[in-house]
Amino acid sequence: MSIIQQHTAASLSDAWRTIDIDALVEDSSVNFDTSTLHPPQPETSEAEVRQINGQVRQLLRGGDAEGALRGALETPVYNGPDAAKDAHLHTVIEVLQSIKASDMTPMLQRIYATPGGSECLDVLMKYLYKGMAATTTASGSGDSSAPRTPTSGVRGGMTPQQTGFSQVGARAGASSDSTGAAMSVLLSWHEKVVDVAGMGCIGRCMTDWRKV
Amino acid sequence: MSTLRPYRNAVRASLTAALCLSNFASQVAERHNVPEVEAKTSPELLLNNLVVARNKDERVLIEPSINSVRVSIKVKQADEIEDILVHKFSRFLSQRAESFLILRRKPIQDYDISFLITNTHTEQLLTNKLVDFILAFMEDVDKEISEMKLFVNSRARSVAETFLVQPEAKLGAITDRERGKARFAGVEG
Repeated sequence: MSIIQQHTAASLSDAWRTIDIDALVEDSSVNFDTSTLHPPQPETSEAEVRQINGQVRQLLRGGDAEGALRGALETPVYNGPDAAKDAHLHTVIEVLQSIKASDMTPMLQRIYATPGGSECLDVLMKYLYKGMAATTTASGSGDSSAPRTPTSGVRGGMTPQQTGFSQVGARAGASSDSTGAAMSVLLSWHEKVVDVAGMGCIGRCMTDWRKV
Repeated sequence: MSTLRPYRNAVRASLTAALCLSNFASQVAERHNVPEVEAKTSPELLLNNLVVARNKDERVLIEPSINSVRVSIKVKQADEIEDILVHKFSRFLSQRAESFLILRRKPIQDYDISFLITNTHTEQLLTNKLVDFILAFMEDVDKEISEMKLFVNSRARSVAETFLVQPEAKLGAITDRERGKARFAGVEG
């Protein structure tokens, strides 16, 4: 065979330059097995999550918001299908939304004072960040959040494009109202949790491999 | 119901917690020291991303790692004009990234402007001042954008006014010229 290699369509294009060849080497640091960094978590199925969610909702209906919050936070879904994780996130947010602003701090202080309370607030912090990330990215893509937020379908493409010359409509777009309200709940909870549990709570949230 | 204060508080707290950096040399190349959040050579050195959002088009993404933090800001864009203004503004700043020390030359996807803070920055600068800078930056950008939008709008209005005044005068000019041309043609013929 001659020194001049055979040209193919694949070698002529530049696509091969962007291949991450490190990922193909087995003992490259990119392929470090992060599962060795944390103990294996029991897998939670969707049915189990639904059962827990049912119990939480029952407590919430019974007026025991603190019990509901504790119940939801003591059973985080670390390992399970995405649907189960989303369902649990949805329940946690629902519980958070149903608690009055004036009850937040005393409730968090009570939970924090009990044994295992600090762990609970770490989990709550994880759900707050996940809630903020999920709502913003999901409304961008539009399809994954469709069953959860009924307005998201409308938000997708049917709102007329604003030209920017009207200063009235631009201030508070009707489309961002629902997400804005959900965010404001999460943000005020975030503030209260930092007040009660301190900065370490966020630090543990960043470093913990057990992701909700 | 203002969400601005809790939003700023949440960003401040998250940033302060994330700016806990240490000097960490590359594990892959000897005598190299690269921001791990950019190189992404070892998954165990990257921490969980934090998103603080005020609504769906105003959010901050914090990507922490052992020796660097990448902070990306999505500035509120309510309509196309703000879209263009934010794009121009962030481009203007990114081109002058050197004078900002922590500004990243290119924003990451879906965000308007990114900062890259490494352990060198936290050693040389005061960490709480860095956080203050980013928060002040967020505030200033919002202010700047709404100010520029008002300018553009008032400019558009005065342009439109002059444009609509013009036709009357123009109409007279045209008819005059037409008449002249007709007369000229008559002479010719």
